[in-house]
Amino acid sequence: MGHRNPLVRTALAAIMLVVLPSLTAAQMSHQHASEAACEETDLHCATKVTPAFAPDGTLWLAWMAGGHISVASSKDQGATLSTPVQVTRERLNLDWGPDARPKLAIDAKGDIALAFSIFRDRAFNGQVLTTRSSDGGRSFDPPKPITASNESQRFETIGFDPSGAVFAAWLDKRNRVPAQQRGEKYDGAALFVATSKDGGRSYSDAKLVADNTCECCRLALAFDGAGRPVVVFRNIFEGGVRDHAIVTFSDLATPGEVHRVSRDDWQIAACPHHGPSLSISPAGTYHVTWYTNGKARKGLFYAQSRDGGKTFSDPLPIGQANRSPSRPQIAAGPQGLVMVWKEFDGQKTTVNLMMSRDDGATWSKPAPIADTADSSDHPLLVSDRRHTYLSWMTKADGYHFQAIGSEP
Amino acid sequence: MIRHLLAALILLGSLAAAPAADEGALKPFERGSWQQLLRAHAGHPTLVHFWGVTCGPCKVELPQLGQFMKDHPQIDVVTISADLVPNLPDATRSMLDRAGLASAENWIFGDGFAERLRYEIDPAWQGDIPRTMLVARDGTITTIEGSAEIADLSKWSDAQAATIR
Repeated sequence: MGHRNPLVRTALAAIMLVVLPSLTAAQMSHQHASEAACEETDLHCATKVTPAFAPDGTLWLAWMAGGHISVASSKDQGATLSTPVQVTRERLNLDWGPDARPKLAIDAKGDIALAFSIFRDRAFNGQVLTTRSSDGGRSFDPPKPITASNESQRFETIGFDPSGAVFAAWLDKRNRVPAQQRGEKYDGAALFVATSKDGGRSYSDAKLVADNTCECCRLALAFDGAGRPVVVFRNIFEGGVRDHAIVTFSDLATPGEVHRVSRDDWQIAACPHHGPSLSISPAGTYHVTWYTNGKARKGLFYAQSRDGGKTFSDPLPIGQANRSPSRPQIAAGPQGLVMVWKEFDGQKTTVNLMMSRDDGATWSKPAPIADTADSSDHPLLVSDRRHTYLSWMTKADGYHFQAIGSEP
Repeated sequence: MIRHLLAALILLGSLAAAPAADEGALKPFERGSWQQLLRAHAGHPTLVHFWGVTCGPCKVELPQLGQFMKDHPQIDVVTISADLVPNLPDATRSMLDRAGLASAENWIFGDGFAERLRYEIDPAWQGDIPRTMLVARDGTITTIEGSAEIADLSKWSDAQAATIR
């Protein structure tokens, strides 16, 4: 710096000492303080990535990064991706809750229905937005609200039924206001559904399925062999017990009776941020995985129903209880049932796998198939005609998409 | 020249000190913060409340906790916003202010690896909020999952007062 005076040099060095460590700390904490690896809209900056196969075998990914939702596709099981297309027009306050993520479904024509949630106001009221692409994912319509109601909505899920209609379900707080006006207490939210007969361009009026569901856990959706939607959700049973419930629809607009998946007896006035997973095998068996911290049991569990969700088998514990098992996912694929979940040892998160070739009667020994040493999305499963794949976004190691072998 | 540099140093010093003096500043909760917090409050009955701005039940409980703090000045009240990051310091502070908790010791998760932060606090905690940990004078921790009943907190506080010889 050219200062000859040693005192000046000392003083300058002192300034550097004062300033530099705090700058470095601030920069580090900036990088550190985000779940995302970067702030741009690219896939490797994403915090949530959702996969879906189109009927023609194309893999589609929708992700949340840099305040935008983007999609890209792959004709080679994820090895190479198309140029991403941005779905959102402007940077949005996307719902970043642990169980929120963009949802997409592709029909036989290659049209794409997509849904996601934003925080609409400073009180964190949510809003479910939907859009669609009718040109094979080259462009998307401007996203618009799924319902005219201005009460909070979150945790949407969508899927095409075999006739090509979109079925959408979400959690909705609209019934709180009239209940409170009547002087009644209203716990949680409500499960609402709507359908679209035009590929997601417009949706029917929202229809109530059940009041007083848990308000902060994702929903699980699958279609049975007859194409009827089945939804699993964390309900609020008598006494504030947040255990899981299931409903099978007789058609897209007609919910059947709500049954209980398990009596875990988790009485808690809190947001568990930890929803269930559901898959229906070709035999028609419902397979459900979930998390609870109830009086009856604690941890991850699996159960199956062979009578269309009326009764379930005794819950089977999943994972190592001392490794904080979380985020269980189940998929009935071409090679049988596949289950994955996360475990954490204080430093490293591992994705563990179990498989069943007898419709859930017996399971292989759990085996780790992927790991990462920083934050990560939920491990997800998706199947094409040949394989089931693990889809897993990690901050440190980027996006994983890997075929799950017939033997773990 | 030297005088200017010294003045600059003093200025820097005062700038660095400014955020600490600013009541309501959120402390970033990072790796090691939990043990640091326990050490800082060792020997004092301490209520640690985990919450988040998007959590419905938290919005109901927070003002009750503000009242509890007012009524129980002998208890150290600590809040930790345990939402995923990037979270929202402005919204967090404004909710704490409105709940009467601006003068509590307030932290916010400041590490993107929330699982690891939670693991340092309680390996079994999967992130459900609200959650309250009551740290007794002797270090015994009682965890209340979900919204706490203020009557239970008061009972605990009274028991803590009784342990003073």
